[in-house]
Amino acid sequence: MSGLIPEFNWREVVVQPWTQDLALTGWVMLMGFLVAAACGLVGNYLLLRRMALVGDAISHSILPGLVVAFLIFRHANTWIMFGGALAAGFVTVVLIEFIHKQSRVKPDAAICISFTTLFAIGVAMMSVLETAGTFHIDAECVLYGEIAFVGLEPPVVVNGIELAPPSVMRMGLVFLGIVACVILFYKELLVTSFDPGLARSMGIRPTLWHYGLMAALALVVVSAFEAVGAILAVAMLIVPPMTAAQITQRLPARLVVTVAHALASAVIGYHLSVWWRCSAAGAMVVAGAGLFVIAWLGTAIRTVLGRRNAAASAPVGATMES
Amino acid sequence: MNPEDTPLEVHDLTVAYHRKPVLYGIDVTVPRGQLIGIIGPNGAGKSTFIKAVMGLLPPASGWVKIFGQPYKTNCHRVGYVPQRESVDWDFPVSVMDVVLMGRYGHLKLAQRPSKKDREIARECLEKVKMLPFANRQIGNLSGGQQQRVFLARALAQESDLYLMDEPFAGVDAATEAAIISLLRELKSRGKTLLVVHHDLATAREYFDSLMLLNMRLVGFGPASEMFTAEKLQTTYGGRLTILSDVVQAVGNQA
Amino acid sequence: MRRYAPFLLIAAMLLVPEMAHAARISELSESSLGGRALRFFTFQDASLRNALLGSMLLGICCGLTGAFLVVRKLALMGDALSHAVLPGVALGFLWNMTKDPLAIFVGATLAGLLGAGTVQLLRSTTRHKEDAALGFVLASFFGVGICLFTRIQNLPGGNKSGLDKYMFGQAAALGQGDVMLLAVVTALALGLVLVLYKEYALTSFDPGFARTLGLPVSILHYSLMLLLAFAIVSSLQAVGVVLVSAMLVVPAAAAFLLTDRLAWMLVISALFGMASGALGAFFSFVGRNMPTGPFMVLSASSIFALALFFAPRHGVVTRWWRRRSQSARIRRENTLKAIYRVLEDHGFRTEQVSLAELAQQRRVTLEEATKEVAELKRTALVTISPSGEPALTPQGWQRACEIVRNHRLWELYLTHAAHIAADHVHEDAEKIEHVLGENTVRQLERRLNYANRDPHGRLIPGIEDIRAGTATMCATRVPGYGGAEP
Repeated sequence: MSGLIPEFNWREVVVQPWTQDLALTGWVMLMGFLVAAACGLVGNYLLLRRMALVGDAISHSILPGLVVAFLIFRHANTWIMFGGALAAGFVTVVLIEFIHKQSRVKPDAAICISFTTLFAIGVAMMSVLETAGTFHIDAECVLYGEIAFVGLEPPVVVNGIELAPPSVMRMGLVFLGIVACVILFYKELLVTSFDPGLARSMGIRPTLWHYGLMAALALVVVSAFEAVGAILAVAMLIVPPMTAAQITQRLPARLVVTVAHALASAVIGYHLSVWWRCSAAGAMVVAGAGLFVIAWLGTAIRTVLGRRNAAASAPVGATMES
Repeated sequence: MNPEDTPLEVHDLTVAYHRKPVLYGIDVTVPRGQLIGIIGPNGAGKSTFIKAVMGLLPPASGWVKIFGQPYKTNCHRVGYVPQRESVDWDFPVSVMDVVLMGRYGHLKLAQRPSKKDREIARECLEKVKMLPFANRQIGNLSGGQQQRVFLARALAQESDLYLMDEPFAGVDAATEAAIISLLRELKSRGKTLLVVHHDLATAREYFDSLMLLNMRLVGFGPASEMFTAEKLQTTYGGRLTILSDVVQAVGNQA
Repeated sequence: MRRYAPFLLIAAMLLVPEMAHAARISELSESSLGGRALRFFTFQDASLRNALLGSMLLGICCGLTGAFLVVRKLALMGDALSHAVLPGVALGFLWNMTKDPLAIFVGATLAGLLGAGTVQLLRSTTRHKEDAALGFVLASFFGVGICLFTRIQNLPGGNKSGLDKYMFGQAAALGQGDVMLLAVVTALALGLVLVLYKEYALTSFDPGFARTLGLPVSILHYSLMLLLAFAIVSSLQAVGVVLVSAMLVVPAAAAFLLTDRLAWMLVISALFGMASGALGAFFSFVGRNMPTGPFMVLSASSIFALALFFAPRHGVVTRWWRRRSQSARIRRENTLKAIYRVLEDHGFRTEQVSLAELAQQRRVTLEEATKEVAELKRTALVTISPSGEPALTPQGWQRACEIVRNHRLWELYLTHAAHIAADHVHEDAEKIEHVLGENTVRQLERRLNYANRDPHGRLIPGIEDIRAGTATMCATRVPGYGGAEP
């Protein structure tokens, strides 16, 4: 097991990414941040609606959507891929509903059945196509993405000015779109997540917003897919909002903390990946999970202290009489 | 005192959910051979009390003794009827399987139910008039029938102390009458029964003793003594304005 | 259950020592699909037998464990744990840089248990709901696993080949040791389920009640979680980290749709698991080195889909078909009733009914009436004269009498016993007439003192009329119970 963790080299791990490699690695960090932030913002609402695992399901099941879209149109245009993913996400949601409503299978099993089946279809088609030599997504990309290749893409050039690599541009647009939606539709999203009945009575249609959220979910997951793969996208959806929920109970603050968490996990994760010489996406998830554990320990310590203080100041018997 | 005469003794029982106390310092000694109703408003901790007695919820303080011993030692002498909503009725078991579960307390780990256990389960089903449904999947029963199955399961336990959580919830009048006559029969055989009940109007008629509960024990004694406006007012905290009317109505009936 | 288990076990035990020479399936020479399929079914290669037996054992142990997951509503726990074992696989490999099945088994089991513990800890110490806790464990453990895997690929030395098979599974890569491990785990699962069936059934159905009986509920729960971890870990090689959860849940869910007994559900689930394992191995073999996991899952999903649509009692198509045939029957009976009404209007003097009158009575067009009569002829309830006019057969007459009697009795019952106004009862009777059984009819007759007129004053056909066989025999006398006026 020796040599698993390479020696920590300050210059190589911390200084170089910010100096001579900045051109290359800056984009990777930015991409990581954009993916985690966009996913995390959507994830906040999933968490509120107790649908974290529907996020899991959809991020798995967009794979067959991508493969089928590619098969039909024979090339990998962003919009085609997005359409395929959206359709797959829709199919997942409908499939879960169908199995759950039409039989006595419980929702948890229905989720599991739907997405594993779709994912299996995706992987099976992929491996058939790969053997036939007509397809370029490989299994590893599905599992943990190719975020490290972002820096190698030729940047988009507009009016002779070099902007960002195309995938970073796309992710940036998605992120801005999500931020805009969260700000513009703040109250609708809040009320439909908190109390669908109240929303309906006020003329806001919860089903519409539900499907809107699902569409946003499909959008962020498909944009994140190339960078971090299907399964790590789940981490990007769930871990930042969970950390935020650990720190604050208010939704606006949670959204801000989510973005901060995304930034921190992208930067720390990148350095970790340079140090450990492993997948950058995986390291970002590890960093994010680490941040959550710190927040978790923090609240646990606070609870213990709080309990001790309360016990010292007011015995149970005294509060009873009042 | 002979421990056989005190099926249940609870001392200073306090139970908390998420550090919020729901039951405070309950002290009660239940005598043998009585049919006892546990009465109180919603959220008064009636179910909590029963669950804490059986160790389903950890108490914050206090202790519980069943026939003079801790619950764990004497758990085979306690029968339990949980609320109907506590289980999944789509579960793939038949009525007979559920009633047989009542016998599991008398069986060793990994021991199979014997012919005799099946015979007992059959008799218990007969008592609640559910024998014709023995092979039905439990989901294909009406609410009252489901309640009867739970009751049969408790009967199959052949216990001396029965704890029942809302056995009358959502059952029709005929089932309610059948259940109460069954409970009386059990009482006449020297069993002790504690029944969580939510209907004040029938409480006095059904039970020998009442336990008035609202986070703490308001009173415990013969039903006639407990059914005073003052006691009920304390129990329900004056939240029910129709309460005095009910007391009046029941008083007029008697 | 008890009858099947020993045979499976003995078969497994006998076959294991036979598999000696593990060769990769990909090295086989046949290239045509047919040739490969033939090879599959003749079991020529030891490696193929390894793969097939391993996949089938996997199906059995996943099926058994999964059945409990499904009835306990822990399906997503299976999903979370199957992803969470990945870092354990990597650490097991790092132990001595080879694919040692035992080291990987131990590492992955520990990771799985750590995952289960983390879920529990998150649930008890934070406000996060079950789904978030499961999602966190799933994703963050998987992240750690990915880091370790990519790290291993950058490490010098060691035999790293085949490690990627843990992602999507490759039954062909199953060694003798792997199959041995699967056999042991399957035997353990079978043994536990057989010995502790009653305890597992009770704690799954009603854990609160189980605890009041003094059963060690949490020990039983954790033993099941341990079994789950074992099942997941031993299946990794064949089905892969990502899709193990499907092998746990899908066969069990299919079995859940087919039976109302837990013992049968366990048997069916194990059989379905076994079948999908074998099918997955077959497709993977025929398709030349395809990953096994997806094909196993697709086989299992196909079985589930069949159960979902065609289960004898709960299937979507079966229910639809039953509804359809029921509404066809109701339509037929309504036509019969209309024919009776037309005959009644004519005082039962003729046998033939004119289509126009029938259509008027049914409030449909002439074409529709013709179609309905044709449908009745198909089921031998009417005969049709050359001019197209229907006449009831004895069978049709009997059914028509019964329906009219049901309708009128029910109307009478509603007005007499339930005190509903006479003009409110027709709609209700329209529905009830098709579902009243003979027993209920007898009861109604008794309660109504064998009355012979409905609330609208029309006669209720009685047993005599039904026996008469044709309409015209009633023309000579007044139909009704006993024929006498009250």
